[in-house]
Amino acid sequence: MIICVLLHRFELVIAAGGRAALAQGPMALAPQPGREQCVGEVSQAAEALGIHPGMRLGEALSRSPRLALIPPDPVGVTDAWERVLARLETVGAQIEGEQPGLACFEAQGLHRLHGGSLDGVVSAVRSALRLPARIGAGPSRFCAIAAATGARTRHARLIDGAAGLAGEPVALLRRRDEVGHLPAALERLGILTLGDLAALPRGAVADRFGRTGLIAHELASGRDTPLRPRPPSERLQETLELEESASGQQLERALGLLVDRLLARPARRGRTLRACVLSAKLVEGGTWRERVVFREPLSDPVRMRLVLAGRLALLPAPAEALRLAAERFGPPSAGDRALFDDKAARRRERLRSAVGQARAVAGPEAALRVLAVDPDSRIPERRAVLTPFEP
Amino acid sequence: MTPAGARRLVLPRAARVFAGPGGRPVEVDGHEIVAVRESWLIEDRWWTAQPLRRRYWEVVTVDGRDLIVFRDLVAGVWNRQR
Repeated sequence: MIICVLLHRFELVIAAGGRAALAQGPMALAPQPGREQCVGEVSQAAEALGIHPGMRLGEALSRSPRLALIPPDPVGVTDAWERVLARLETVGAQIEGEQPGLACFEAQGLHRLHGGSLDGVVSAVRSALRLPARIGAGPSRFCAIAAATGARTRHARLIDGAAGLAGEPVALLRRRDEVGHLPAALERLGILTLGDLAALPRGAVADRFGRTGLIAHELASGRDTPLRPRPPSERLQETLELEESASGQQLERALGLLVDRLLARPARRGRTLRACVLSAKLVEGGTWRERVVFREPLSDPVRMRLVLAGRLALLPAPAEALRLAAERFGPPSAGDRALFDDKAARRRERLRSAVGQARAVAGPEAALRVLAVDPDSRIPERRAVLTPFEP
Repeated sequence: MTPAGARRLVLPRAARVFAGPGGRPVEVDGHEIVAVRESWLIEDRWWTAQPLRRRYWEVVTVDGRDLIVFRDLVAGVWNRQR
């Protein structure tokens, strides 16, 4: 049995500064700078006006001109969600929690730890969380999410497969990114519940909606993909408060300092870095966050700076604080790579040797390269020449 | 100027061209021409003893080839370069 823990409107609550702020009127998370112009999570008042997460900003504002747009706080959300996941993991669960506010785990192995029943596991989760959360359970991830969505904060709810899902609205599909756009189309066709969707022939759904339609049909039939719990991780991060709001070269120097500091941390234990998160607190309010996965594990500060500096150009406003966190580590031992283990230098050496051998056999013109001398010339023979290739 | 130790690419080579009115090629090396894409005149190195005067034609043959041919206006011969 899978258990789902749902902290409703988690991102909005963090960005607005607390749950009490949501009572002030219709609110929605503003789109992140440079992303698609759709609103994020919405408050209950906004929901009552027909606004839902993922709706185009223009449409949301036309439905409610009083709609307050809250600047997103991805850094604050990540930190708060990490704390929640850490608490959940104290129960002994292997958590899947990529989407802030929604965590799922398999309860099977936890029964014996917590009184031998599902109720015992749910009680343990509640006492570990110390937050008002909706908890649901079901044989698949989607059943558990559907159960949690309809649950009250004090009572867990169980949906036992397709029969339990049948009466639930298709709007639940918005909980899944890959099928989040389908409910509007389904509702227009008069398919209002998951039971209606599951009753349709698979082929007809595939004809009308393609692959996403098939995924939705599977979900409505109570089936879902297996959970992918996150691997145990450790947080290693460095933050720099910038005395003056910084951008451009100042920011690049600050980044260089952060890279040096992060690499110098003893907790790194000589390991390379595979993925980093670069984040900033913006002067205008709100935060910015960018995940960077290196093409290969790195511990060379110069190469790290080269990769990360390009991402600084995406900052939507000057920053007050800059943070660099190591998200994934790679294997150790690549630390000396720049000095002693340079693949490019070895490749050049092999190429030089091969060219030498080819010239020894076939003469000096055995290896040539095309050099564009005057590529736009109206006289074709002046455009390019062949010249000896020197690796 | 050609860099030292370099060899030119796409050097002109003799071509058998039949020209129509206005010097427009109608057949190149046995291939009928169906379209002329472009034509241009080159006059260069006129200050030397070996001036360059060429009328270029970029043409399309009936079998779809895109050729560049020119008439050397000094020597009066046809060449092709692609």
